[in-house]
Amino acid sequence: MASLLQPDRVLYLVHGEKKIRSPLSTLYFCRYCSELRSLECVSHEVDSHYCPSCLENMPSAEAKLKKNRCANCFDCPCCMHTLSTRATNIPAPLPDDPSKTTMKKAYYLACGFCRWTSRDVGMADKSVASGGWQEPDNPHTQRINKLIEYYQQLAQREKLERDRKKLARRRPYMPLAFSQHTIHVVEKYGLGTRLQRQRPGAPITSLAGLSLKEGEDQKEINIEPAQALDEVEPLPEDCYTRPINLPEVTSLRQRLLQPDFQPAGASQLHPKHKHLLIKRSLRCRKCEHNLSKPEFNPTSIKFKIQLVAECQVLLTLTNPVENITHVTLVGCEEGDPEDINSTAKVMVPTKELVLAGKDAAADYDELAEPQDFQDDPDVVAFRKSNKIGFFIKVVPQREEDGDVTVSFKIRHDFRNLAAPIRPSEEGDAPTEAIWLTHHVELSLGPIIA
Amino acid sequence: MSYCFFFWDPHSGAVVCVESEIRGDVTIGPRTVVHPKARIIAEAGPIIIGEGNLIEEQALIINSYPENIMPDTEGVEPKTMTIGINNVFEVGCVSQALKIGDNNVIESKADLGKNVILTSGCIVGACCQVNTCEVIPENTVIYGSNCMRRVQTERPQPQTLQLDFLMKILPNYHHMKKTVKGTSTPVRN
Repeated sequence: MASLLQPDRVLYLVHGEKKIRSPLSTLYFCRYCSELRSLECVSHEVDSHYCPSCLENMPSAEAKLKKNRCANCFDCPCCMHTLSTRATNIPAPLPDDPSKTTMKKAYYLACGFCRWTSRDVGMADKSVASGGWQEPDNPHTQRINKLIEYYQQLAQREKLERDRKKLARRRPYMPLAFSQHTIHVVEKYGLGTRLQRQRPGAPITSLAGLSLKEGEDQKEINIEPAQALDEVEPLPEDCYTRPINLPEVTSLRQRLLQPDFQPAGASQLHPKHKHLLIKRSLRCRKCEHNLSKPEFNPTSIKFKIQLVAECQVLLTLTNPVENITHVTLVGCEEGDPEDINSTAKVMVPTKELVLAGKDAAADYDELAEPQDFQDDPDVVAFRKSNKIGFFIKVVPQREEDGDVTVSFKIRHDFRNLAAPIRPSEEGDAPTEAIWLTHHVELSLGPIIA
Repeated sequence: MSYCFFFWDPHSGAVVCVESEIRGDVTIGPRTVVHPKARIIAEAGPIIIGEGNLIEEQALIINSYPENIMPDTEGVEPKTMTIGINNVFEVGCVSQALKIGDNNVIESKADLGKNVILTSGCIVGACCQVNTCEVIPENTVIYGSNCMRRVQTERPQPQTLQLDFLMKILPNYHHMKKTVKGTSTPVRN
């Protein structure tokens, strides 16, 4: 099955903003536009946040507050695996009688992969299983927060001024570049109050919400400018002669995962909270219908809506739909602008091929009569339920070491079963067949001898 | 097949299953557990295994000839492979290291070459191949697909609970190898 095991052998051409060639397993099929869509011609939207290890859902506002990190789970600072909590029994003196000791449980974090433990960096064992672990504070937090506030206020002020100018000029037509720049300035400092997707050509409608609240006490935030120092701390004297303790030196990746401290020594690597992952939904840009919408529950991998191309478009002549499908193959003509990759000429069968529908019960139904399609043995090699094998002739054009690639067009009929039932005055059947044409590229492998 | 010699005594507690393959001059200390399908092969010299070790299924401990020496060459001295106490050889690992200390853990499908010497408290991670010519310092952890290394502060704990459990349970389900006491010299193939 070229679709699962060798995905790059058969490529389909997607007509989007960019011409993208990719295997069918990565494509979606918009049944409202009746076109193939790839990941680059759909818009991605964040559905929900969840932690990959404890599978806890988190609303977006809370996620933003916690900087997209889970509250309970930690990552190993050494190998980025998930840390697990382990318990040991330690003798501890009883509060009533200091001379007697009782076994108390002490918890520490440990990594199963690289055997890092929280005791390695000197973190004391905690007496509660979860919630006792704190990340060390960033010494620059206060200064950073103040700077952020100042710049946010500055950006808001600039935006107000720009929009005030626009209102004063009373122009009904706002130049697009200007308004996009304003939004860009706002987004630059993270104000981002409304999740509004920019549609090209639509003017900014946020002016209605803006009103200059005259007389409102806007707190002036002043910041001290950064001080430039003349003297820099000198390097230690044995910088060049001291032997390096290699296990103690942190790798760049370990260092940069903790941008607050960027410790150079492994004994200062503290665990960080685990990053949250998102579930995203995909939307066709032309018709605004959802192509893929996952379930909200993080433990479920199913989808509410999933319009994957494999379920709709013909595979290498396996018929995924339940109707009989007629397929015609047409070779690419000379000078076809889409035909850029083929290195061989192909002669495809000119007759129309008929594929039986997919019937899930066919395996169990012994009394079913075998369908009788008159197959030309020169064209059709074998036929099995909804699959067909056929012959093509390939003439390689170039003698080269690369793969032989052929391209041709598949034209098949498609019945849109889920289209809305329009009131049909002419008495048409609601499921009309439409003919779809796809440009397919097939990689046949290298020439042997 | 050459004769196998065990100098262990079931009363002092080593547990060696019948389905394990032990060839050559192998000494196994008390409280060691050898699972079925483990292979301990002493080709080019004797193997001495200490006490409290845990050798799991499909582990291969082999004292083999160096690559460029034919088995029948004269003048080759047999080198003894020594394995200390409280080591764990997990499922599917291969160890040709001639000297292994105490409290080491060789994880599943790890591969130790002939020239490595493990000291104490080392952990060789799963699927890590170590075939350098060096002495691994104490408490080293080798992990990851690139065999990264780091030093841990504690040595791995000896698996006493697991060993006790296995010594009770394994004889219920497997036959154990009996002692073979003999004085004749081992025959080489």
